[in-house]
Amino acid sequence: MTAVARPVVAAPQPWAFPEGTTQDLPNGLRLLTYDVPGQYVVSVRLGLPVSLRDEPREREGVASIMARTLDEGTAEHTAEEFARLLERKGVSFGAGMGDAGLSVDLDVVKGNLEPALDLLRQILTEPAFPQAEVARQVRTRLAEIEQERSVAAHRAGLEFVRTFYAPDDRSSRPTGGTRETVSSITRDDVAAFHAEHVVAAGGTIVVAGDLEGLDVPALVEGALGGWDKGPRERERYLQHAAALAPDRGRIVLVSRPGSVQTEFVIGAPGPDRSVDGGWAPYPVLGFVLGGSPNARIDAVLREEKGYTYGIRSSFRPRRRGGVFLTSGSVRADSTAESLRLLVEILESGRNGFTDKEIRSGVDFIAKTAPGRYATADTIADEAVGMALDGRTTAFTTDNLRDLATVDRSRVEAAYARFADGAGIGAGGPGAGWTIVMVGDASAHLEAVEALGLGDVTVVTDA
Amino acid sequence: MTAISYPLAERTLANGLRVIVSEDHTVPNVAVNLWVGVGSRHESPGRTGLAHLFEHLMFQGSRNVASGEHFSALMDEGARLNATTWFDRTNYFETVPTGALELALWLEADRHGYLLDAVTQDNLDNQRDVVKEEKRQRYDNVPYGSALIDIYATAFPEDHPYHHPTIGSMEDLDAATLDDVHAFFRAHYGPNNTVLTLVGDVTPEEGFTAAETYFGGLPPIELQTRERHQQLPPLSEPVRLDRVGDVPNDRIYVSFRLPVDTTPDYLACQVAVDVLGGLASSRLVRRLVRTDETAVSVGGWTMGLVDGVGLGTITVDVSVGADVEQVEAAVCEEIRRFADEGPDDAELESVIADTERSWLSALASIEERADHISHHALLTGDPAYVNTFVDRIRAVTAERARDAAAAWLDPASRAVVRYLSDTSKDADQPDDTDRPDRPDDSTSSTDSPDSPDKDSEEAA
Repeated sequence: MTAVARPVVAAPQPWAFPEGTTQDLPNGLRLLTYDVPGQYVVSVRLGLPVSLRDEPREREGVASIMARTLDEGTAEHTAEEFARLLERKGVSFGAGMGDAGLSVDLDVVKGNLEPALDLLRQILTEPAFPQAEVARQVRTRLAEIEQERSVAAHRAGLEFVRTFYAPDDRSSRPTGGTRETVSSITRDDVAAFHAEHVVAAGGTIVVAGDLEGLDVPALVEGALGGWDKGPRERERYLQHAAALAPDRGRIVLVSRPGSVQTEFVIGAPGPDRSVDGGWAPYPVLGFVLGGSPNARIDAVLREEKGYTYGIRSSFRPRRRGGVFLTSGSVRADSTAESLRLLVEILESGRNGFTDKEIRSGVDFIAKTAPGRYATADTIADEAVGMALDGRTTAFTTDNLRDLATVDRSRVEAAYARFADGAGIGAGGPGAGWTIVMVGDASAHLEAVEALGLGDVTVVTDA
Repeated sequence: MTAISYPLAERTLANGLRVIVSEDHTVPNVAVNLWVGVGSRHESPGRTGLAHLFEHLMFQGSRNVASGEHFSALMDEGARLNATTWFDRTNYFETVPTGALELALWLEADRHGYLLDAVTQDNLDNQRDVVKEEKRQRYDNVPYGSALIDIYATAFPEDHPYHHPTIGSMEDLDAATLDDVHAFFRAHYGPNNTVLTLVGDVTPEEGFTAAETYFGGLPPIELQTRERHQQLPPLSEPVRLDRVGDVPNDRIYVSFRLPVDTTPDYLACQVAVDVLGGLASSRLVRRLVRTDETAVSVGGWTMGLVDGVGLGTITVDVSVGADVEQVEAAVCEEIRRFADEGPDDAELESVIADTERSWLSALASIEERADHISHHALLTGDPAYVNTFVDRIRAVTAERARDAAAAWLDPASRAVVRYLSDTSKDADQPDDTDRPDRPDDSTSSTDSPDSPDKDSEEAA
């Protein structure tokens, strides 16, 4: 046959994040709506600026238990009745705590939005927190603690936050609390935390989907207009910057005898979205170093060496400060060699980037945006995430415009700013990084120490 | 109730390629989705895992495309792409900006037509290593990671195509040769064994024309098809497999052979499994989690397959201190009760509402919509299934669900796989109260772009 010529690609049209509307309710709740034609499942997202730092130290995890017990019974219904009420309307519901605050997610077909919002009203304003349900969520969380401890990727993440953040900072400890703190959580603790923090002031609710024919402001006002504002005004986002551990620059090896792979988390302090020079270069950096099968890391560790199924890097911004994380697993007998290569590649940004690499990163991030934000849930997630970050989705659009101007010099400047801030390149190789590995310590310790990348601490779980 | 009516236009090219276009101009993107009629069910003994290893090689270059270029050329144009392998098929897909549709088709046609020009021993050896790490990461180094493998081996006979998992065995992967790869391609990869679905910013005529331009020249293959297996009956007696080891808590999987996908009896079983364990208000959740408090969580799912059998499973995470035998007995008791009584109206209403919302959520993105269309075009012959599935679930009556449970979910036909924690070891462990447990959200390593779904093997 005759070969068909390789087609030329027409450049996409400029794109902007869908336009939303904003309304402030008298009780302090802000409503954002996004009409997305053709999206028949409506996504509702509520973000509340509730801080993990407001948990009593000896009751850490109470916010998460509270979030998980919100729909386990209300003033009018038992837990079982309420579960059935949600299900009969096809409502998918979830709530959870994170560093940025409390998130409540609800998805429902368009025609059931009104009853779903009434169920949300009951969840937020009339939760009963029955003793039996709180106790059950506590037991579930304790079982989850064991589950997570046994999964290498989770175990590595835990050790990472414990090593990276200052011991007296909440971020150094698990979001959902530890065995000790969770075990002591009572129904009254949960009810008290809810009463104080789950109030409308400073909250942002997003409704995204095919909204034609719906009066969303009236529906939301009708359901949540009576939600108590709370005793005081509240900012819509949290401001705390987590303190880092003074000795965060080291290697921790969590012992897993007989492990067939070694799990890595390698991190260093990174910027937030307000960084000098703009945020746009950082996702490009993450992409070039470890964002695809052709990125610098997988080009070597996967495609050349066959050590891994895939390792990924990304910058994770918080409202103030952030972290640059690289994670994945490698074949056990390649552990030390993989670590050497990973550090070498992560530090290779000091030697610059090629125009082609930067072009690839910019193009991928810019041109995937319309598809990444095509569905109601992704639009609502982005909008509530921005709200809890003290921004609007105008940032998403502006950042994409700025991204178009990102070139090699801006990315190299961004890398230098990141590396200088983290102390990377200040000492020898490995300086400035927090490196956590979960694997067979007895098999790898000597070889890892011989790399000379920093002090190695071995941690053994009981 | 939301009417589901996505448009579908279909044409078969002269070489046998089935092309389906579903027009949707809400976003300037097109989802390109190919299903090839080959999966691990077509593998021969001693060559398990070959379909999936082969899928990896599809990213290592073809006649006019360099190794790795499929990824880089498409990602540079804003594509999100991958591939997956499963029992019944292999799936290649990318979502691209409209202007890159033709490039995507050109790249796909090159590898689907002319892969063998570029396959080398080095590529094979390298991707074999990558696949072994995929297996270690997803199965060997995770608690309960091998549960599905154990379930297949327990529920299906040894000579059945679903007895072995798609990931295959390390020994068979080692044994795969370049000759195997060539033979596999020639036997299975051709336009007449493939469905191409385009969903998004493209009209049917544009889509058909582009498909003809890039795929029209691919020659059909001589397809050796065998009849699908006869429906397997339920197991004649309970079978079980215990794994004792380092797991955080005891977990029980109670599985059943089911009818093949999309049959009325399969759908009735799906409703029954949902009522028993698939929803937050399911009977086993109420009984074991809320009332008896012998379980931390309960799940229920069904797996639709085409080669003579399907699979339905109830999973129970057993509470510390609860008796595993009693929990299993309670599961059997609730199943029997369901088979006697059937579901009540509220249960049926819940299943329908949950199915409608989750199905509409799945179809909300063009890539997932394209995947479901390809699925049913290739395996059940009915791409319009995307528009009728919820109505079919709605049509399941209480009697039908009850009868299906009696026929297919009889506890006397169960296959039980148990992962039990090694208590002899635990007795020596000190109580450690300052164990950390869960990473901060920002350090989760589970949301990497390559995080796998539970039941198929991916390229990257």
